[in-house]
Amino acid sequence: MTAARSKTGASGFDQLYPGKAEEGLRVKTGIVELDEMLRGGFMPGDAVMLAGSAGTGKTTLALQYLVNGVKLGEPGIYVTFEELPDQIYRDAKNFGWDLRKMEEADKFRVICTSPSLMLESGSDSLLDDVLRDVQPRRLVVDSLSHLEMFVKKDDMRMEAYRVIRYLKTRGVSSVLLWESPQISGASFSVTDVGLSFLVDCILALKPVEIESSMRKALVILKMRGSDHDKRFREFEITSSGIKIESAFSNYEGIISGSPRKVASEKFMEMFRGASEKQKKA
Amino acid sequence: MSGSEVLSTLLGSEIRGDLLVLFHKNPGLIDTADGVARRIGRATVTVISDLRELLQLGILKQKRIGNSDVVFLDRAKDRDLLESVANHLKTVRISGEK
Repeated sequence: MTAARSKTGASGFDQLYPGKAEEGLRVKTGIVELDEMLRGGFMPGDAVMLAGSAGTGKTTLALQYLVNGVKLGEPGIYVTFEELPDQIYRDAKNFGWDLRKMEEADKFRVICTSPSLMLESGSDSLLDDVLRDVQPRRLVVDSLSHLEMFVKKDDMRMEAYRVIRYLKTRGVSSVLLWESPQISGASFSVTDVGLSFLVDCILALKPVEIESSMRKALVILKMRGSDHDKRFREFEITSSGIKIESAFSNYEGIISGSPRKVASEKFMEMFRGASEKQKKA
Repeated sequence: MSGSEVLSTLLGSEIRGDLLVLFHKNPGLIDTADGVARRIGRATVTVISDLRELLQLGILKQKRIGNSDVVFLDRAKDRDLLESVANHLKTVRISGEK
């Protein structure tokens, strides 16, 4: 009886229809396995940090998030500080994403500018016109690390806060790329300027050396207001974008970049080896 | 402005050609004269007059962001001008064939 009564409240409704309540409230990445890890997708309007060292797939994942957004009827903007749009169009085409076509339909824009202009404040902001034209629901900044070159280290947190608030005020869900060489080594930290506290969600991409080959791992380090998958999942960059595989279940120390097999797995290997020998004998 | 006039203005200098290619290939570029010059590997002073020409032609537009003046491509005008140049070239080819 008590349980039945609790289901009549707001949280009770969630218990009755958990799938539907969650679905409506999430911004889907369109990558099925990632959406499962995020329990449906990012929270709407959230600022997400996508951190990783060079070559881990940050740009690909961010573009895939925007392209899938357009397919779901959510226009997007990609802001780049370094790479020229021409190169981004070309790279995207290799994954089968025709960004120019999406631009012609006013569903997508690649904006290339200098970080200093992004930080300029005044009556006219750099993004005002394009936000009016495209009315995006999603925006990617590639990368927040570039802003660091234009502001003092002490001011970085405040300036990043301003960018995040600008987008949140307009109801835009943002993905902010962060070049993080630290997470490729043994000592693990996402940023050294305290940005991890400003963002609502952190996704880290990491190269991992296993049996003399370089593989890639993805982990959700933080997600405000939501449960999420805590495991390191292997992923690959395929011809159609990011493909997330299973978790590294038999390894520990993934975060160090040089994982080792868990003790039970080592024992099983020894056992298997011994029984093979026995069979041969 | 006629197709031939547009064409001669566009191809009036090497730098103008470089700027045109840069903005045409990267229609979402929004930058200061300094930033634009850097992206084509030139010094700012050498691109100013050509940027002005493209602004006068209407291919580029200017806007004030905080304390900086930025230039960017007018996509609609760019399409119109390309069409007018293409028509002009078609006419030249047809009259050449005759």
